[in-house]
Amino acid sequence: MKYFQKMRGNTKSPPRVSLAEIAWSWLGAFLGILAVALINYKFLGGTALVLLIGSFGASAVLIYGAIKSPLAQPRNLLGGHILSAIIGVSAYKLFPGDLWLAAPLAVATAIAVMHATRTLHPPGGATALIAVIGGAQIQALGYFYAVAPVGLGAVIMLVVALLINNIPKTRSYPEFWF
Amino acid sequence: MVEKKPAEPTNVPSPEIADEDIFAAMKEISGYLDITPGDFKEVYHLAWRHARERLLRTAKAREIMTRDVAAVRADSPLQEVAELMARRGVSGVPVLDTADRVVGVISEKDFLKAMSSGGITSFMGVVAQCLQEKGCKALGIRKGKAADLMNAPAVTVAEDTQVLEVIKLFKEKGINRVPVLNSQARLTGIVSRGDLLDLAPSRGGRTL
Repeated sequence: MKYFQKMRGNTKSPPRVSLAEIAWSWLGAFLGILAVALINYKFLGGTALVLLIGSFGASAVLIYGAIKSPLAQPRNLLGGHILSAIIGVSAYKLFPGDLWLAAPLAVATAIAVMHATRTLHPPGGATALIAVIGGAQIQALGYFYAVAPVGLGAVIMLVVALLINNIPKTRSYPEFWF
Repeated sequence: MVEKKPAEPTNVPSPEIADEDIFAAMKEISGYLDITPGDFKEVYHLAWRHARERLLRTAKAREIMTRDVAAVRADSPLQEVAELMARRGVSGVPVLDTADRVVGVISEKDFLKAMSSGGITSFMGVVAQCLQEKGCKALGIRKGKAADLMNAPAVTVAEDTQVLEVIKLFKEKGINRVPVLNSQARLTGIVSRGDLLDLAPSRGGRTL
């Protein structure tokens, strides 16, 4: 019985944030993704390199929208993305012909490693998955995927977070570095 | 008779916290907190318990003692002593000499002993004896003074005696309260078993 009772939940959702908080979240995310997207489309267009990957959209939610979260801190942002990238590439290299197996292996292992290294960053799961299912362009990068787009893109987004999140009096970022 | 003015309470009981309180507090903090009110409540109660335990390990007598302490003079008539103890609802009081030094402690137990024979120290023991012997010995101590019944010399502790030491003392000496003296040997409070109980976490099954 307790098993099913647990499914009902036991508390309520946290309150909505202020309008100012919403506005700063929007601005940070806009500028952070803008910076990465500009480089991706204006400078790397036509090359084999990419800088913008889907998991950065998820990171933006955290580092511009939930900046106090332990999941949004630099250690988690950088560590989570880079470690997950390495794991994702490894999973693909282990089972290049069995993506149905490489995909769950990449994500699950990424979560385990992020937990173990105290770098849990939810978008890291997507970063690991993209290494497997991101198509020929990503797969061709091999382990360089962990440097760019993943490492470099995360650093650019971090710089924007540091610049924007510390402007309003009510905000401060990060809570801790490492 | 010496009755000291109440001082600020030092034992703050664990405040119950409601989900609405947490919700309101989270609203006051600008920015998104990715913790649910329920999780916060759990953290709060666990943290409170840790704080209590830390307090017990590091607290000094000064921090847990009752400052509003009722005391009597060595020459206070026992009748007045009993009245004071009844009025204040305490089971023991320090006894002071004319220079305000603590010379002893007088407790219910001392009264019970004096009201019976054969070392009976419980109320029901005295009742039983009274019923057997048709008459109480309480009348025999009517003319007595606090000094006649008190336990002397008094076991006392200093203000900065560790609470853990106080607990040990209670066990070793078989006492239930101990007067607290400041560096000038003046009575500033009393630590009773009740004060120690206040230290124990009031929530959750696991206690100290």
